[in-house]
Amino acid sequence: MTEALFILVIVVVTALAFDFTNGFHDTANAMATSIATGALKPKTAVVLAAVLNLVGAFLSIEVALTVSNKIISIQGSNGAPIPELMGVPILTIVFAGLVGGILWNLVTWLLGLPSSSSHALFGGLIGSAIAALGLGGVKWDGVISSVVIPAFASPVVAGLVAALGTWTVFKITARVAADSREKGFRWGQIGSASLVALAHGTNDAQKTMGVITLALIAYGSWNPGEGIPLWVKIACALAIASGTYIGGWRVIRTLGKGLVEISSPQGMAAEFASAAVILSSSHLGMALSTTHVATGSILGSGVGKPGAQVRWGVAGRMVVAWLITLPAAAVVGAICWAVAHGIGGAAGIGLVFVVLVAAAGLMFRHSRKTKIDHNNVNEEWEGGLAPKSETAETRSTVSV
Amino acid sequence: MGEIFLKAFEALWQVLVAGIVLGAGLPAVFALGIRVLGNGRTLAADGSTYSSPPTGAGRAGSTVLFAVCVAAVLFGIFLIVAGGFGIKVFG
Repeated sequence: MTEALFILVIVVVTALAFDFTNGFHDTANAMATSIATGALKPKTAVVLAAVLNLVGAFLSIEVALTVSNKIISIQGSNGAPIPELMGVPILTIVFAGLVGGILWNLVTWLLGLPSSSSHALFGGLIGSAIAALGLGGVKWDGVISSVVIPAFASPVVAGLVAALGTWTVFKITARVAADSREKGFRWGQIGSASLVALAHGTNDAQKTMGVITLALIAYGSWNPGEGIPLWVKIACALAIASGTYIGGWRVIRTLGKGLVEISSPQGMAAEFASAAVILSSSHLGMALSTTHVATGSILGSGVGKPGAQVRWGVAGRMVVAWLITLPAAAVVGAICWAVAHGIGGAAGIGLVFVVLVAAAGLMFRHSRKTKIDHNNVNEEWEGGLAPKSETAETRSTVSV
Repeated sequence: MGEIFLKAFEALWQVLVAGIVLGAGLPAVFALGIRVLGNGRTLAADGSTYSSPPTGAGRAGSTVLFAVCVAAVLFGIFLIVAGGFGIKVFG
C-alpha cells in the first residue's frame, strides 16, 4: 500500500465516522417532539428516522462537490482540487477538518446540546484551511452568506412560524375534548416529523458524499465530471442511517423534555414549521442547519402556547454552544492539521487518527456514567440532563 | 459586503413567507379538521372527553381538511425528490 493510498483510506473512514455522528446527533431534530409526547415509541421513532434518512440520502443526486467549495479555497470552480494541492496536501486538510467536526459533535453530544453538525464540519475545514493556507484559504464572503447569516436568522424564522402555528392551533381547538385533541395531533406529528427526517437525509448525507468524492479526486482515482461514485453514496447513506438509528438520546432528551414541556399540538406545529422552513430554504439554494431550525421551532412552540413553560436557561446554553461550535471545531481542525503536517505523511495522519479514536472512546466511557437511552429519555426534566434513575442509587440494568 | 446581506435577507424573507403559509397554515388546517370532527358531539362537563360519536357531517368535513394536509406532505416529498434530481419546480 502506498502512503497516499493509506492516507486516502483513513480519510474515507474518518468521513464516514463523521457522517455517523451527524446521524445520531440529529435524530433529535426530527423525532424529539414525537418521542416526548408519546406519538411514537422511542425505538419506533429512531427506526422510522433511520429508514427515512437512508431513503433521503439516496435522493440527493444533485452533485454535492460544491459544499466545501463555498467556504474554503482548495478547489477550482468546477469542484476539482487546485493542481498544486493535489494528493496529500488536500487529503491532510480534509482529514484535519473532519477530525475537528467529529470531536466537537462528540463533546456536544456528551453535554446533550443540539449543535449543528454542518457548522462543526465547516468549522473544522475552515480551521485546517487557515492552518495550511493562511487566511486567504477561506472564502469569507461564502462563510458569511452561507454559514453566519443563516445561523442567526434560521432559528428566529423557524421560531416565529412555530409560535404562530402553535398559537393558532390552540385557538382553533380550544373547545375540543382534551383527549381527542392530544390523540388527533399525534398523527399530524408523525407525518410532519417524517418529512423532517427525509429532508435531513437529503441535506446532510450529501455533505459527506462531497467530501469523500473530493478526497478520491485529490488522490487521482476519480474525475470531477463523473459525479459521486455509487459506493460512496451507499456507504454515506448507511453511515448516516445507522447513526440515526443509534439515536443521540442525550440530545433527544434536551430537545424533547428540556427546552419546553411539549404537548402533541405543539409538537405538530413545531415539526411542520421545521419542515416548511427547511424545504423552502433548500429550494432557494440556501442550506440551513436542520438543528438550528428544529431548535427554533420547538422554542417557538413553547412561546406560542399560552401558559407554557420555556426553560430559557437551557435555551441559553444551546445558543452559547452554537456560537462556539464553528470556532471550537476550527481550533481543533487547525491543531490536527499542524500535528499531521508537522510529523508528515502517513505517520502524522495515523497519529491524529489514533488520538481521535482514543478521545472518542474516552467520551463514550464518560457518557456511561449517566446513561441516557430509550428507556429513560422521557423521564421528567429536573434541573438537568441526567434522569433521576441515573442519579439515584437505584440504577437500572438496561442495555445499550 | 452589503450586497451579501441584502441577498441573504431577500431569501430569508421568502422563507419566512413560505414558512408562515405552509408551516403555520397547515397546522391550522389540521386543527380545523380536529375541531370539525368534534362538531355536534356532546362534550363532558370538564372538557376532557366526548360522550357521543362523531357526526356524519363532522367526519366528512374533517376528512377533507385532513386530506389537504396529506396532499401538502406528499407535495413536500415531491419537492425533495424533484430537488434531488435537479428539477426546480418554482423559479
